[in-house]
Amino acid sequence: MATQTPQTQTGAAPSRRARAARAERQGASLSTIAWKQFRQHPLARGALLILGILYTAAAFADFLAPYPERYINTNNTFQPPTQVHFRDEDGRWSRPYIYPMKKSLDLQTFQTVWEVDTSQKYYLKFFVRREGIRDRYVPFPVSLIPLKLRQTWDIRPTATLHLFGVDDPTDRVKVHLWGTDDLGGDVFGKVLFGARISLTIGILASLVAIAIGMLMGGLAGFYGGWLDELILRLVEAIDAIPSLFLLLTLSAVFYPLGLPSSVVFPLIVVVLSLIGWGGVARTIRAQVLSLKERDFAVAAKAAGASNWRIIRAHLLPQTLSYVIVVMSLAIPGFILTEAVLSFFGLGIQPPATSWGLMLNTAQSFVGVSGLGDRWWIFIPGIFIFVSVLTWNLLGDGLRDAFDPRSRR
Amino acid sequence: MFVFIVRRVLNLIPTFLLATFLAWFVIEIAPGDFASQFAFDQVDPNKAQRIREVLGLNQPWPIRYLYWLRNLVTNFDLGTSMVSKGDVTTLIYPRMVNSFWLLLPATVLTFLIAIPIGVYSAVRKYSIGDRVLTVFSLIGLAVPNFFLALLVLAFAVYFYQSNGWFLIPTGGMTSSNYSQLSLWQQVLDRGWHLIAPLLVVTLSSLATTSRIMRGEMLEVMGQDYIRTAKAKGLSENVVTYKHAFRNAVVVIIATIGGLLPGLISGAGTVEFVMRWPGITPLFISSIFAQDVYVVMALLTVLTLFLMIGNLLSDLALALVDPRIRY
Repeated sequence: MATQTPQTQTGAAPSRRARAARAERQGASLSTIAWKQFRQHPLARGALLILGILYTAAAFADFLAPYPERYINTNNTFQPPTQVHFRDEDGRWSRPYIYPMKKSLDLQTFQTVWEVDTSQKYYLKFFVRREGIRDRYVPFPVSLIPLKLRQTWDIRPTATLHLFGVDDPTDRVKVHLWGTDDLGGDVFGKVLFGARISLTIGILASLVAIAIGMLMGGLAGFYGGWLDELILRLVEAIDAIPSLFLLLTLSAVFYPLGLPSSVVFPLIVVVLSLIGWGGVARTIRAQVLSLKERDFAVAAKAAGASNWRIIRAHLLPQTLSYVIVVMSLAIPGFILTEAVLSFFGLGIQPPATSWGLMLNTAQSFVGVSGLGDRWWIFIPGIFIFVSVLTWNLLGDGLRDAFDPRSRR
Repeated sequence: MFVFIVRRVLNLIPTFLLATFLAWFVIEIAPGDFASQFAFDQVDPNKAQRIREVLGLNQPWPIRYLYWLRNLVTNFDLGTSMVSKGDVTTLIYPRMVNSFWLLLPATVLTFLIAIPIGVYSAVRKYSIGDRVLTVFSLIGLAVPNFFLALLVLAFAVYFYQSNGWFLIPTGGMTSSNYSQLSLWQQVLDRGWHLIAPLLVVTLSSLATTSRIMRGEMLEVMGQDYIRTAKAKGLSENVVTYKHAFRNAVVVIIATIGGLLPGLISGAGTVEFVMRWPGITPLFISSIFAQDVYVVMALLTVLTLFLMIGNLLSDLALALVDPRIRY
């Protein structure tokens, strides 16, 4: 890889022209070729753009969402989406405004009916500061640091800025762009907060799965013998159990403990990676088997390098392009699996939220009779679909970029 | 060939033992057991302990695994359900039959549709039809099947609310008045309930299967003997269907075993959403109740099923492909 050569690491970032000239002298590196190939793949580029938007939205969810993650309002369950108006009664453009919604009971069918109350307009305000104790949040890059560390290091930045809110001093009129769920939570905000879990869990799980797979595959391929036999048998045994059922059994291990969501999240990452490492281990093993007979590996051995050094410094880096492709193609699978797990109620637990868990609401609370007209509770499913689709496209693009046979 | 079969079957035994041992281990590391729910019984504080003794839960788990294995091997006894107090085999048997009636038509339908699609896209590579099918399969790969099932249910409800009658049922396997129907009405009723889950399971497994078929077909059509056949002056149809298709289908036969786990898992989520009384709903309720023997029995039977499926497709491949000789 170009970034690992000593030339590019020294000093400040070289100018683009200098870099291009150097690349020409040295012959293009794998990453340069791959990047060039990748840029010619319009679908993959589009996918990268959409994923960038999704991840940015997840990172700044506190700012983008009008209400905090744990906001509930049990008087306001299954409220239909609030319509934002951009034109006033005379058809002229105006500042965006909404009308509040009122619910009443239809005395004939005993069903809740939502009506728009057009007696008063409420304008939307942008870049509002909400000072309430629940409206404060920890801004994005800092929020990645675990809470415990933040407390010990005494970093407590708080932000109060939100992208939009209702211009209502009494704070009784709420804006729910995508309606509310079974607890009156804001679906729009929850989709953004849920994106944090749904979108990161795939990346983390595939990282862990590949780490385990590389370690096990590397060991099996390099040492052979009984270790190889044992690891292969283990992979075979895990493969023999249908994955959905193994997954459900594994998550039942921590389900009865009623753990807080900060612990459940890493546990799900572990569970997902435990069932996903087998395929990686098999391929890495096969690659290491052939790589260790190559001249450079034999030379390293002759030069007295330790086994661990040969595996780490000479063999595993050779499998890197394969690993990048496998990772990008494994992530959508893990996103789907997390969604299934949370959908079954064995994954992320409330008050934390993920897209799968939000669809669980559609399954369990709405009951069949409410399914027909409460369409907005299906919105998280569209996000699962889009993120899986775009990760698949990105993975295809990367595979084409790294695979010499499919170069254009 | 006989030696190959024997060796292949013998090879299954250690895998099976390791798989069941792993499954048992995973169940056992879960905190608490079936008796934990009685731990805070007001009337009888020792109730949990007594239940553990009666059920043998006070013994160490490797010992119980060996007991379980002995009963399984000597008289096919999968144990007793702690929740329903009944024999596990009689409990899971009807569930397995129900799942089978969803899985079998879904598998057949998937292959009946996927193989022509795959052949078409391979023969007309990069045509408009192929591109449309590619887009559809990308979509099919990305839609979670439980989401698709929810959407179908929502449509069923919506249709009922606007038209006053059910186009497709909103879940379940039979109508509530099933037992009063005559035989052919019962058959019709079951078929009517099968439509929605069958549709969802087939649609969600179609994408993968047709892509595999397309890839195989392309692979075969790039081979030298296809060029030779064309050079001999054979017609395009003969080359495609007699030479290429036959060889590509061989590989598809071999992948049926490999596709089964995905089909079972996919059908499982659909069973859960559409309340099809198959194995998955039972599995989930048993997981929540920590009913070890039911969970274990389902895992065992499914593992056996998968292993036999893989074995059969390996054997089928060995039979059809003259290059494979053992």
